[in-house]
Amino acid sequence: MSKIDIKNLVKYFGPQKILHGIDISISKGEFCVLVGPSGCGKSTTLRMVAGLETISGGEIVIGDRVVNGLKPRERGIAMVFQNYALYPAKTVFNNMAFSLQLSRINKNIIDKKVREVAKILDITDLLDRKPATLSGGQRQRVAMGRAIVRDPEVFLFDEPLSNLDAQLRGQMRAEIKLLHQRLKNTVIYVTHDQVEAMTLADKIVIMKDGKIEQQGTPDDVFHNPQTLFVASFMGSPPMNLINAKTLKNGIKIKNLEINFKKSSNLKIDKNVIFGIRADDIRLSDEDNSGIPVKGFVNLVEQLGTENLAHFNVGENNFIAKTNARAKLNLNKEYSFNFNMKHAYFFEPETGIRIS
Amino acid sequence: MRSALIADLNKDMQKILNNISNESIPYLFLLPCLLILGSLLSVPLYKVVEYSLYDNVIVQKNPSFVGLENYKEILGDIAFWKATLNTIIFTVGSVIGHLIIGTSLALLVNTDINPKARTLFRSLLILPWIFTAVVVAVNWQLLLNPFGIINYGLDKLGIINEPLDWLGDPSLAMWSLLLISTWRGYPFIMVSFLSGLQSIPKELYEAAEIDGAGFFGKFWHVTIPQLKPVIYGVALLDLIWTFQLFPLVWLTTGGGPGRSTEVLSTMTFRYAFVNFEFSQASTVAVSILIISAAFTIFYLRNEKSRI
Repeated sequence: MSKIDIKNLVKYFGPQKILHGIDISISKGEFCVLVGPSGCGKSTTLRMVAGLETISGGEIVIGDRVVNGLKPRERGIAMVFQNYALYPAKTVFNNMAFSLQLSRINKNIIDKKVREVAKILDITDLLDRKPATLSGGQRQRVAMGRAIVRDPEVFLFDEPLSNLDAQLRGQMRAEIKLLHQRLKNTVIYVTHDQVEAMTLADKIVIMKDGKIEQQGTPDDVFHNPQTLFVASFMGSPPMNLINAKTLKNGIKIKNLEINFKKSSNLKIDKNVIFGIRADDIRLSDEDNSGIPVKGFVNLVEQLGTENLAHFNVGENNFIAKTNARAKLNLNKEYSFNFNMKHAYFFEPETGIRIS
Repeated sequence: MRSALIADLNKDMQKILNNISNESIPYLFLLPCLLILGSLLSVPLYKVVEYSLYDNVIVQKNPSFVGLENYKEILGDIAFWKATLNTIIFTVGSVIGHLIIGTSLALLVNTDINPKARTLFRSLLILPWIFTAVVVAVNWQLLLNPFGIINYGLDKLGIINEPLDWLGDPSLAMWSLLLISTWRGYPFIMVSFLSGLQSIPKELYEAAEIDGAGFFGKFWHVTIPQLKPVIYGVALLDLIWTFQLFPLVWLTTGGGPGRSTEVLSTMTFRYAFVNFEFSQASTVAVSILIISAAFTIFYLRNEKSRI
């Protein structure tokens, strides 16, 4: 277990700058998730920590060693790849044992270690099989086994669950979390799935276009998004975001006025982007705290435990979360309550939050 | 009732006819190819086998049937066994040479360098394969000539004191022949392996790197197992081709000096068109055929198991 310090990390691919100075500090045993849309530089950052990409600028420190010039094997890391990258010609046992075999460790010790890890992952009966005969979930376990066997200081996961079907993904996600609680290794985990990020992370780093948008605990980035991008990226359904103008006692969204006691940081007669999560718009029948607004329901998405009601107020569209048992009729007017205590406002030009 | 029965019968007949025509269509398309291949391959094949069972074919009007006499004679001939041994040395040596040079060059031109330079190297390295055997043979004869550039260069470098007769010295001729054959044949292996190398997922190398494998570790644990099916198939194919190789040997050493580089294919030619002993030539040819057929069966089995 080691802490990791990534300092002002820069990466060029040819003339193109991919990473613009990344700073992340991960403490011992912390589960850090890098999340962002494709092309944001999260995988590149991970691969630079692994030593699979050269470092154009900045520094990576694992434990108290600067690892910039070190080969992957000298960095004390283990990595789980998106498509598992199991050696097709080797049995599961040899896949897991390979790194230990290369370090010329005593055969009996290798055997003991591999079997121990296989037992943790419940793959003991697969040890003699070749990867081609395994299912996706089994391969995933073997890939993790291969990483765990080495007892590395740092685990690196590169979108390990994205090749699995939804049910298995949920299951493996829980297993990875359990495994981390048990092994307590430092982890860097890359994903584009914000649900994975929320559920797994001790610390989330949200990246976009080679820059960090925000980092913090899942709770922090979810409830305190510092930028428009973070607000729109985290959470499902995405936050309702809409252009608005500030008034003396509220805001005006096209022809809709919402009156509430606004913070003094919001100057009057200013263009802002108003954001509110679907969770904070409820049917007035269910929860009447907040500002009531009348709107026509035009679509209801049933999620089982709750429904997402799409409704429009004049030209403005919003999504609200409603109780699954509430029966809503399409094209009928309902009253919704906006909980303005949890409203967010962003600068339209910079996307920075006005708090 | 009766008419319904007849209608049913008619339907059944129609079905059967349909089936036949459906099944026979693919064969119809194959027919021209089968006819050409059949007449061009099976007739000469049959003739060669037939000739090997007669004495003095072609040169005499009424050759006599001698059964397996020719085979007995050939199998008792030391020159045949010497030629067989030479063929084995030449074939195995060439294939090993092709594999080593072909693999090394495939790895080299698969490296991540400037794409333009890479294309240039790839194209240049395929050249030996493009030349016809005659051109290759004449070129190498000139190069290896006692007064050729290779002797000149080695002399200048102080490696040899007097020019060597690379193709004329019995102790050197086979080595020279192997050199020429390796030069001529490596591009096939190189190209085949290159395509094999490109299909190996990059992640496997990265995983191996993280697991702590160095260059040879990656080569041994990732490249070789991934290339294995290709290696096996290509090596067998190369073996079959080299085993029957005639022009390169005939045009460089002609099987000489003496019989020191005589292989089964040159022996066949010598029997047929130098000595005009077509029966003996056919007998040797059939022996090549049998051995080649054995290799081919191996090859086909391997290909089948890959599918």
